[in-house]
Amino acid sequence: MIRFEGVSKTYTTLVTRKKVAALADFSLELNRGEVVGIAGPNGAGKSTLISLLLGFLKPTAGQVSIDGMTARDYVESRGVGYLTELVNVPGHLKVPDALGRIAVLAGIPRNQRATAVLDVMTRLGLDEHASKRVKQLSKGNLQRLGLGQAMLGDFEVMVLDEPTHGLDPVWTARFRDIVRELRRPDRVVLIASHNLDELEALSDKVAILDRGRLQQVVSSTAESHIDAINWRIVFEGEPDVAAKLHGASPVEGRPGSWRVTMTRADLSRGLGELLRDGAVLVECTPEQGRLSSAFHEAVGR
Amino acid sequence: MNANRTPWRYLPTHALDVARGPLLLFVLVSAGLALVIWRLVANEARPPAPDELLSGLVSGTLMIAVLFATGGTAGVDIKQGYYRAYFSKPMAPWWFYLQRWLLGGVAVMLVPLFLGLGLQLAMGNGTGLDWEIFGHVALGFLLVGGVVLLASTVTARDWLLAFMIYFLQARLQNVKDLFEVTGNELPWTVDKLHAILPPFHLAAPGKDLPTGTDLIHALAYGVALVTVALLVLAWRPLGSGGRA
Repeated sequence: MIRFEGVSKTYTTLVTRKKVAALADFSLELNRGEVVGIAGPNGAGKSTLISLLLGFLKPTAGQVSIDGMTARDYVESRGVGYLTELVNVPGHLKVPDALGRIAVLAGIPRNQRATAVLDVMTRLGLDEHASKRVKQLSKGNLQRLGLGQAMLGDFEVMVLDEPTHGLDPVWTARFRDIVRELRRPDRVVLIASHNLDELEALSDKVAILDRGRLQQVVSSTAESHIDAINWRIVFEGEPDVAAKLHGASPVEGRPGSWRVTMTRADLSRGLGELLRDGAVLVECTPEQGRLSSAFHEAVGR
Repeated sequence: MNANRTPWRYLPTHALDVARGPLLLFVLVSAGLALVIWRLVANEARPPAPDELLSGLVSGTLMIAVLFATGGTAGVDIKQGYYRAYFSKPMAPWWFYLQRWLLGGVAVMLVPLFLGLGLQLAMGNGTGLDWEIFGHVALGFLLVGGVVLLASTVTARDWLLAFMIYFLQARLQNVKDLFEVTGNELPWTVDKLHAILPPFHLAAPGKDLPTGTDLIHALAYGVALVTVALLVLAWRPLGSGGRA
């Protein structure tokens, strides 16, 4: 449904005319029914990518198309549910008024507008802030307002830029439920985030960007990375028993809490030997998520 | 849900913004001016003719009224990033801002009416309204408002840019008038600059409405300003110029 084909975007500085490549030769296809994550360090090109997708920027090379149309033509004719990274809503408006205006633009019919706004406010816990102006909202509430305006209307493309930025743990968890509800066979949901755990939990695939280039696409259904994850084993007993294990890291820690790490390939045999030699297993956990592992590998830091 | 995608759907919201903003201010200012006039001239033996007084009032307030009604039309949304939420929805920016600009024009066209009614209340000898004053206001709005709309596509301080151009052109007009009186030839650069800048002087209340080529010049200039502004809004992505 969404195609980035060899997309590059270069900015030119105003005074020195120096060229800065924000995105280089980026290609990716997003299909209906998918939830796709975009991960990358600061300055990787995530915001530029989203601006290109919404037609707020034109690519220097390549093309972005949605459903066979140019990005801007698609957005102007069908619209996109879009949570901006920094929620940009006029501060003097009261919360229901701000959402009401977006509801008008989203094309919600007049007789359903008030209900739609109220529904979004209730779902996102904004009903208790109905009398406040946007500029009076806390960071977390502002983020919820941004999510609310993105959810108004019925769109086949949803773009969420840093959706949990400023949200507390309760609302971060609630957000995950909301994204799961947004998933539909006819819809693409794109999430750009620094939060790798979040992307791993929600996305079907995650594109890792660094320095404007697509480094890797990690699919949540692929098993290829599982073997690359190191597992941490914490045990009680004699540290010598772990020192003899094949593929294990040097033993660290103190009596009662020794630690080693080993790959998944060596894990079962290593655990068996440890337990056979009288160690008591305290903990056995993956050192980092699959995406996190791939991310660090891709960006090289 | 049957989506309402009519291009007019945001018009009532725009209208409410104009009514609560510029229109309300124009009513209050007109009422204030009427009060001042009532205190100053109503008891004079020979109060000024209402049409002359109205012409003077419109002349003194037209520029500010247009700046207030149209300032920041697109520029503020672009600078503050509001455009991201607005135009991720199915709406073309050029159409959105054209509607807002035209409603600003309606508010400006009501200024003579408010001032005229204020004069009637203050002096009781007529509103001073005639069709010519509305012609001046419409032409003034087209030219000044057109500059503001075009400037709005690149800066949030569109009103300041428009004011500076207006001020420069007014000074050039003064110089031109002075040279005509003294019979000297106007320097080439001044003459060309005066010709290139918008012909605000043609819309000035207190003079006859322009006719013939002057009228065509003023109308064509104003329409060109608005057309270029709309083309910029249609073709230049709103995130351009480091606003991504």
